[in-house]
Amino acid sequence: MTAAIETRGLTKRFGGLVAVDKVDLKAAAGETLGIIGVNGAGKTTLMNCICGLYRPDDGDVFVAGDRVTGQPPHVIAHHGIGRTFQVPRVFRKMSLIDNLLVPVLDRKASDAELIERAEAMLERMQLIALRHNHAEELSGGQQKLLEMARMLMPDPPIVMLDEPFAGVHPVLCKFMIDRIEETARAGKAVLLISHDLTSIYRLSTRVIALNQGRIIAEGGVDDIRGNPAVIEAYLGT
Amino acid sequence: MELLILNGLVNGLIVGGIYALVGVSLTLLYGVLRVVNFAHGEFVIAGSFLAFVLFSGFGVPPLLAVPIAAVAFFAAGWGLYYVLIPRLARSDDPELMSFLMFYGVSIAAAALMLLLFEADSRTIDYTFTPVSMQVGPIYVSTARLVALAITVVISIALALFLFKTLPGKALRAAIMNPEAIMIMGVDIVRLSAFAFALASALAGVTGVLIALVFPAFNAFSGAEYTIIAFIVVVLGGLGNPVGALLAGVLFGLAEQMATVFLPQAMAQIVGFVILVGTIFFRPSGILGVRFKR
Repeated sequence: MTAAIETRGLTKRFGGLVAVDKVDLKAAAGETLGIIGVNGAGKTTLMNCICGLYRPDDGDVFVAGDRVTGQPPHVIAHHGIGRTFQVPRVFRKMSLIDNLLVPVLDRKASDAELIERAEAMLERMQLIALRHNHAEELSGGQQKLLEMARMLMPDPPIVMLDEPFAGVHPVLCKFMIDRIEETARAGKAVLLISHDLTSIYRLSTRVIALNQGRIIAEGGVDDIRGNPAVIEAYLGT
Repeated sequence: MELLILNGLVNGLIVGGIYALVGVSLTLLYGVLRVVNFAHGEFVIAGSFLAFVLFSGFGVPPLLAVPIAAVAFFAAGWGLYYVLIPRLARSDDPELMSFLMFYGVSIAAAALMLLLFEADSRTIDYTFTPVSMQVGPIYVSTARLVALAITVVISIALALFLFKTLPGKALRAAIMNPEAIMIMGVDIVRLSAFAFALASALAGVTGVLIALVFPAFNAFSGAEYTIIAFIVVVLGGLGNPVGALLAGVLFGLAEQMATVFLPQAMAQIVGFVILVGTIFFRPSGILGVRFKR
């Protein structure tokens, strides 16, 4: 079966530093692939290479079997990849509704239909009461929810979440975990970066561990949890 | 004295409206493209010369020159974007390079206008009927009132476009976070070309209004409007179109009121005092919106 998202030998260098080093990964529809690693392991750079913000120096990215390597971010997005950022990049001076309309600007639907969809999405994220507020008025955790809602608006088959739980209140974390589980159950391939190992172990079908840009371990949650290379990378012992 | 103050206020609104348009087009460019267009004043004055040529060569009245300039400058801006900007984007420091490149463009544009129209100041000898109209106790030239009406209509149309239409929202989103908008499937190159074309159209139209409001212009007048545009952009907050509209009007009012209360030489430095004061005390502009890189 063709993977929803796949990378083969993906490599990104910044001068002499190899930030992502020959990374092969695959995620199928409905699967949540956890990506773990200490700071500077190359997790976010890997995501940036997949979504086109960085042009990889080597290797390839495939979406549903189509090679998208080196294409501009908007073209890759149209192949069906949505993502969030570690620090939410919401449109601060725009209302929540307008934030959600931006990714569907070119959709052939009436404004009323798009607004209805945006409101349903805000309802799902429990932000509907704030729909006319500016995004800058939201808390950090709510901004992460808004960004997730915005990512889901065009209904992409692949979603990439970069540290969705960082700095978020535990109650909101639980709510986000439920939404991510819901997203995977809806048949989307989820790539999840997190430092929060408890959450990532709970959500992931499979996990890859990165260190200095390389995959040092890959497998099911139990395989990774007890993997000596992962423990060494995290604890330095 | 009251009449002088009222006169200063009315003229401040008229001149401020023009300054607002000069500033909003520059700030749109900077907001979306992160491009510092040092040739902005020359774009504006090219609009004045277009109105001059249309009127003196073909008898086209300035009012009709407004839509012609809008269309012509929009098309020229669209083409110019693809000639100039993609090369800039490949440089290590596009912002600095844009400053240097457009400084060169400003010199070239001024030289071209000098070649075509020589160094003499030009004026459009078009008169409205009646020549002036009574506004309360004072008389204001009809041309100035027409220019004010056009600036108000354009400002409202621009605000409606930016806040009520989907392409306008995309432009605002691009100003706030260009990287985020790219990964949402919006073609930032096309959007940037549109922003460049829109800013050029606004510059061209503003040039026509300048030809209506001010007594004369020449090939070197552009530099003055570039400086005014920078003052308005800084005062309004970098990349903030609404801020620029407000700042333009405020600056126009301050400048015109200064001519009432201060000697002429002092009044001319008001703009620079505002510029330096804003940078020192309110670097995020009057609306307090800090530009986010």
